[in-house]
Amino acid sequence: MKFQEHPLFKKIIKDAWSYWTGAILLAVLNIALFAFSGHPWGITTPFSYWGAWIFKALGGQPETWAYFQNPSHANALTQNVFTNGGSIQNIGIILGALLATLLASQFKIKKIKSYKQVIAAILGGLLMGYGARIAFGCNIGAYFSGIASMSLHGWLWAVFALIGAWIGSKLLVKYFM
Amino acid sequence: METVKKSKKKRANQFPYGVALLVVLIVIGIILSKQSPQLAVRWAFGIAFGFVLQKARFCFTASFRDPVLTGSTSLTRAVIVALMIATIGFAAIQYSAYLKGETVPGNISPVGIHTAIGAVMFGIGMVIAGGCASGTLMRVGEGYMMLWLTLIFFIVGSLWGARDFGWWNEVFISKSPKVFLPDVLGWGVAFFGQLVLLGLIFIFVEWYEYKRFNAKN
Amino acid sequence: MAEYRIDCLGEACPVPLLKTQKEMEKLKVGDILIVEIDHSCAMKNVPEWARKMGYNVEIEEVDDGQWEVYIEKTR
Repeated sequence: MKFQEHPLFKKIIKDAWSYWTGAILLAVLNIALFAFSGHPWGITTPFSYWGAWIFKALGGQPETWAYFQNPSHANALTQNVFTNGGSIQNIGIILGALLATLLASQFKIKKIKSYKQVIAAILGGLLMGYGARIAFGCNIGAYFSGIASMSLHGWLWAVFALIGAWIGSKLLVKYFM
Repeated sequence: METVKKSKKKRANQFPYGVALLVVLIVIGIILSKQSPQLAVRWAFGIAFGFVLQKARFCFTASFRDPVLTGSTSLTRAVIVALMIATIGFAAIQYSAYLKGETVPGNISPVGIHTAIGAVMFGIGMVIAGGCASGTLMRVGEGYMMLWLTLIFFIVGSLWGARDFGWWNEVFISKSPKVFLPDVLGWGVAFFGQLVLLGLIFIFVEWYEYKRFNAKN
Repeated sequence: MAEYRIDCLGEACPVPLLKTQKEMEKLKVGDILIVEIDHSCAMKNVPEWARKMGYNVEIEEVDDGQWEVYIEKTR
């Protein structure tokens, strides 16, 4: 496999890109997505749909909740993973990352190392899921797209996420290392 | 960046699997486009976002966490650059909608106590879990089992938040305004003010990192 | 001129970098620390930190998605 020794292959496919390259490309992609779909990039709203679809399949009635009275959320309840644009996009993110690691020959299954990681993953996941719902977004929807939309909530979000990150860092060093 | 040495050990070459996956992704894209072109485009955007996030090891979590924990601000500065570029592009889209008299598009949500509480929760969660929403999805693709678990509970948490949304809405959200900065400050002040503020934060974090690294030695 | 090794396999950010920082403080000038990592992000931020500190850094990809970072304490 001679082409894998080629400098251009190494630069683009094998080695990591700079943070600045990532920043520029993500910003351009976000602008393009906004122009195309009318909505900037967001990630966590489809997660609430995934949860609701499973909950419904198990016999729950999420459609009675205030959250699903919102027309676009109510509409999503009638869809599934293959017809909901946000869900398709999120699965694309997972597979796009997998594609990048495979092309670079760097894929490896990393097993869970300790019970501390299990607790951290569960607690972290719950906090992020709940937090993103009530604050209208995550690092992408509220911080990246919110500030870029010149919305005050994006700025407030960033200030308090920094405070949260500070608390999280203290907890991490104390309990999860 | 200096070169990464390869070990002499004979290793499996995963590149062919990557090519096979690429073919599968394209085929799915074609099938989706027959169903709805809109979905196929979202599919392509997702793949592009994931590819770029992984290649650049881009981490929004680190932009908040690293200044606190390790003193590094390289990702903070990168995010600020992304914000500046996106602000310019977004403003162009928003301003043209404004000129046409349409509702201004964008992620403009009610701002209030719920924003602060949710953001603090999110901030704690992303640091202990080792990834935010984008980081979790990207690391799921990289084969990180810990983050598969995070994703499952991220979904549970989202459902939980959606269930309680009615309460939050009644107590805080319905009483909180959506604040679109150009409505308050005018387009010029909001747009240029935001770019200047981001620039100032960029300079500040650069100085902060310099101070942190030089205080240690 | 001793050589030390820390195992950060399976650890997510920022744990590998924190462990590296802690370990480097214990080392004497001239010592080498080998950090074993399989987290693609740490493979970028550990060497970046070490270079900012002015240490000599070398990265070896020992297996698919697994690296050893050699850091020499120069001062």
